[in-house]
Amino acid sequence: MDITECVGEIEHGEGGIGGQARTRRSRNWSTVTMGDLRREVSTTSVMALYTVMYPVFDQLEKVNLSAAQTLRAAFVKAEEENPGVTEGFVLKLLEKKNQKINYNECLLRMAAADVKEFRIERQEPGFQELNERAHALKHILSTIPDEINDRVGFLQTIKDIASAIKELLDIVNTIFRRYQYQYRHALEQQKKDFVKYSKSFSDALKTFFKDGKVLNVFVSANRLTHQTNMILEAFKTAT
Amino acid sequence: MEEDVKKVKKPGIVSPFKRVFLKGEKGRDKKAQEKSAERRALHTVSLSQPDHRIDPDILLNDYIEKEVKYLGQLTSVPGYLNPSSRTEVLQFIDNARKSHQLAGQLTSEQDAVVSLSAYNVKLVWRDGEDIILRVPIHDIAAVSYIRDDSLHLVVIKTAQESGGSPCPSSCPELNKSQTLSSLSESGAVLVEVCCLLVLAVDNKAAAEELCLLLSQVFQIVYTESTIDFLDRAIFDGATTPTRHLSLYSDDSSSKVDMKESFEGETSPFPFRASMEADSSSPSASGPASPQAKAASEGELSTTAAELLQDYMTTLRTKLSSQEIQQFAALLHEYRNGSSIHEFCINLRQLYGDSRKFLLLGLRPFIPEKDNQHFENFLETIGVKDGRGIITDSFGRYRRAASSASDPTANGSSAAAGVEGGDGAASDEGPEEVGEASEGDEWDRMISDISNDIEALGCSMDGEGATP
Repeated sequence: MDITECVGEIEHGEGGIGGQARTRRSRNWSTVTMGDLRREVSTTSVMALYTVMYPVFDQLEKVNLSAAQTLRAAFVKAEEENPGVTEGFVLKLLEKKNQKINYNECLLRMAAADVKEFRIERQEPGFQELNERAHALKHILSTIPDEINDRVGFLQTIKDIASAIKELLDIVNTIFRRYQYQYRHALEQQKKDFVKYSKSFSDALKTFFKDGKVLNVFVSANRLTHQTNMILEAFKTAT
Repeated sequence: MEEDVKKVKKPGIVSPFKRVFLKGEKGRDKKAQEKSAERRALHTVSLSQPDHRIDPDILLNDYIEKEVKYLGQLTSVPGYLNPSSRTEVLQFIDNARKSHQLAGQLTSEQDAVVSLSAYNVKLVWRDGEDIILRVPIHDIAAVSYIRDDSLHLVVIKTAQESGGSPCPSSCPELNKSQTLSSLSESGAVLVEVCCLLVLAVDNKAAAEELCLLLSQVFQIVYTESTIDFLDRAIFDGATTPTRHLSLYSDDSSSKVDMKESFEGETSPFPFRASMEADSSSPSASGPASPQAKAASEGELSTTAAELLQDYMTTLRTKLSSQEIQQFAALLHEYRNGSSIHEFCINLRQLYGDSRKFLLLGLRPFIPEKDNQHFENFLETIGVKDGRGIITDSFGRYRRAASSASDPTANGSSAAAGVEGGDGAASDEGPEEVGEASEGDEWDRMISDISNDIEALGCSMDGEGATP
């Protein structure tokens, strides 16, 4: 078996359990999930929904619970049916308010905030640690805009990100070894996606150190944040 | 030259002393001029002003030379020397000049060339090109520029060469007749020592240029190291097996069968629906169905294939073609009966210090009987617990390695916590039934993997690989 055959086997394997996992499913709107959205839409567009809009709905719930829940459900459905609509909505709003901001930078800064929909409630060993390590990684990623222009500080941030990625993967591996899952392949696929986007983040950094352009770093960091949330969501819904 | 000769031949009395003196001086000037004419041009590039920026590729793939005067190297200097303190540094230099450890007067005899790259600082004599010394970048602690009247000094603080011993704080010079134990007994406080490489340049601009070039070298090196650290962290986390891939039965008490309660059509989880179509019950207390077993073996093959793919990709980027062949030969020997100890030692030698992390990627391929020795070996060379690899500011890399090393201790408490819910023991889960076939499968995979890596070694002939 050479490398090209390995790749072929992996791709064909996606048609099995993994492929079925990607089919759309009926949604229980009372428990909002992101399962299909993670692969069907661009990262930043779906982040607009849970990073930007969800906190707004949370605040609105204190004012009018019913209206907030209706709005939330409507946005989720709209995003599923028309990927990118939430991001378009947010960008248009900013335009109307004459807010000249770097959208990707802002999204990254907001990435540290916990999204309760992704938080794993199980108290068994490993799961709370997974919550904490995911939060730690997102927090460090959110500091990139503040550190990126100071080389020494930024290198330290990258080292911290590396440690946080390693710690997250360690606890994911530990949970895999500790518990049995019937849908293990899907969880391993999620881990693979996370690793893939971690490598992309590393590539974005290499490019940044050559050309000095920060935007790709922000975009890549946002993607990595999103994958972190998807790991949480995958383990949450699998248990 | 001819004008000088004419001057000497002017009519009139010329002091013989003057004649000899002038002749000597002219001789020296002539020699100096001849020398300059003979000296090769320096390998240099123009730098963008005012910060003397240089293309990083030049420092990574090429080098740049600057002319300096080499005054000497001071050894066994206390490591606590503050390179930012003009007074402290000059004190050492003045003492060294008084004791003739450093050149006093600057002449052309101190002319040297400093060659800078991302790998080392090399000093050679301007004439003759004999090497004076070479300092790897990671041995450089600090660079200082000191202007002392007309003298423009660039002082590089470096690690003492290996073999140098800590010296007592009261005596900067190590007394070689004393042993360390006698020094301790005498109550002397032992301190780490360093070296000071003392150079002189023509003017302030040249000194600043040299300092800024070294600063850029540091930036490149530490940026590369940091990205490398990130890549290693991702690689290690990605290649750590999510199940025990070695040929031994796992402690079943540490495994818990997480029975997901089936919530029917309202379940938000997509896989429940698809799996329910294949099996009548999600229960895992009976023997594994052929479908589950096949899925398990299929997943195993996929996992092993992915690990192989990742590891081979990494080998191609980190080893040269010759090294890949050497790796293949070592793997072949190991597969044919040489000991795990020999395998580890030879691999460590092949990878060297900078690439020893590659040993981590071999974990999935080490059979169970050698697993313990392999893990112990990783610890001794400082790979498993993070020693030798850059740690973050909070030392989290170390903590992560130690906390992930013992999953079974917590596994039993997890088993106790979950068991009560369904009442079914986890001892007869599908994983145990499949283990014998997993063992055979793994034996085959290890053979396939070894063959493929050996084949990779052969295919690398004639190809350039990026080390």
